[in-house]
Amino acid sequence: MQSLIQFFHLLTFKVRCRLKSEAASNYLGFFWWVLEPIFYLLTFYFVFEVMLNRGGEGFVAFLLCGLIPWLWFNKTVSNAAGTIFNAKGLLTQTKIPVALLPSEVVLQDFVKQGVVFLLLLTFLLVYGVGLSWSWLALIPLMAVQLTLNAAAGFLVAAVVPLFPDLRFLIQTGLMLMMFGSGIFYSYELIRPEHQGLFFLNPMATLIKNYRAVLVEHQAPDWVALGAVFLGSALVLGGLIWFFLNRADFYPRVVSET
Amino acid sequence: MGERIMRLEHVGVRYRIRRSMFRSSYYEALRDVSFDLYAGETLGVIGRNGAGKSTLLRVINDIIKPDTGRVERRPGLSVSLLSLSLGFDPNLNGIDNTVLSALLLGHSKEQALANMEQIAEFSELGDFLYDPVLTYSSGMKARLGFAIAVTLRPDVLLIDEVLGVGDAHFRKKSSAALNAKMASEQTVVLVSHSAAQIKTLCDRVVWIEDGVSFKQGQAKPLVDEYEAYIEAHQSPTGTKHDRLAA
Repeated sequence: MQSLIQFFHLLTFKVRCRLKSEAASNYLGFFWWVLEPIFYLLTFYFVFEVMLNRGGEGFVAFLLCGLIPWLWFNKTVSNAAGTIFNAKGLLTQTKIPVALLPSEVVLQDFVKQGVVFLLLLTFLLVYGVGLSWSWLALIPLMAVQLTLNAAAGFLVAAVVPLFPDLRFLIQTGLMLMMFGSGIFYSYELIRPEHQGLFFLNPMATLIKNYRAVLVEHQAPDWVALGAVFLGSALVLGGLIWFFLNRADFYPRVVSET
Repeated sequence: MGERIMRLEHVGVRYRIRRSMFRSSYYEALRDVSFDLYAGETLGVIGRNGAGKSTLLRVINDIIKPDTGRVERRPGLSVSLLSLSLGFDPNLNGIDNTVLSALLLGHSKEQALANMEQIAEFSELGDFLYDPVLTYSSGMKARLGFAIAVTLRPDVLLIDEVLGVGDAHFRKKSSAALNAKMASEQTVVLVSHSAAQIKTLCDRVVWIEDGVSFKQGQAKPLVDEYEAYIEAHQSPTGTKHDRLAA
């Protein structure tokens, strides 16, 4: 219990420091959090709406509801990948819980994307997508995604020190997953017989539900969300268990390389 | 001598060395190390490069659990390594970095803040503490790290080679502070291959040779014996373990 409290003190303080440090290290500081999704949006908008003329009405809102959750997932996974691998100094000099390292990234990206989500809601209101009670479902939806992000982040952080070459594959894997998540197209474009496969990708499920809740003003698919949550919680729980019970596993691995 | 706070019995640690994707071999960093640590003493650990001293510190610090043998420690014992600039973030100021370092060493934020004045004074950084650490010279950074380590008192302080910190004036001050620490009731484990340092600072010495606690005893006679032994077994490149220890 005592160590759990110390863990959260350390985690929250470190995340505050990281956010402060990040804002201090770029001229535009916090603005990058917002500018980045805008650049992505402009790129997709240009390609699909302007060049291919595929967008149609409400395309920007549709795109944003896919893009912003995707960027959140993408960032957490890319940023978490090297956290244990690059922490040789810390892990061999002081006794810290290994779970702290990926947790920092998960929490930091959550805070940053929280701000972006607030902007998304503001944008949707201005854009003419009306306010609805269904927006309340955004809270459980984001909680499910946070669990998924944590599970994926912990997993890559745990595997990379064992097979450092995987770092190069992670970006490719994320790219593949992006195209398979339905960010700039709707799942309805996929042949019915392939939709089962498509929704095996948890981000595809989440994005479909973000759109249902935010734009279409419908209730989310609770069963599908429950499945994503359960799967993520199992992976996350297993990794936390491993980190706790084999506390010296990673200090050894980083000493050995 | 104070109460016994830690006991190592036949401790062995082996690392796996990955040769390729599927092949690996083992390397024994420690094979058979036994000794006791008593409250208030300054215990010296001597041995050649690659004798297993760094691994031993990791075992004492509870970062690595031994593969063979056992370690008994008094419940609640806090151990930390004197490491300069542990976890420093160059974009943050000295105060934030002090708290960060203290938390990483297992102290609380309150402890760090309560000792801030002392740390500021000892490090002689003054108002620089409000500037980002990236504006510090390497000497200033080391001074801050050193001040944090000596001000927050763990039950056992581990020192891996006494470092020359900062300019001549601060070096004098830091070694005086360390000497005072070692003379006080602070328990210290000091690792060094400088025989002279060990002789002046330590009460008792454990001599590690090729992963084994070869001999232990009173500092002065044992260090003399060690020096004579090294003289007789001079090897220009150290042992095969050097590569890993680095």
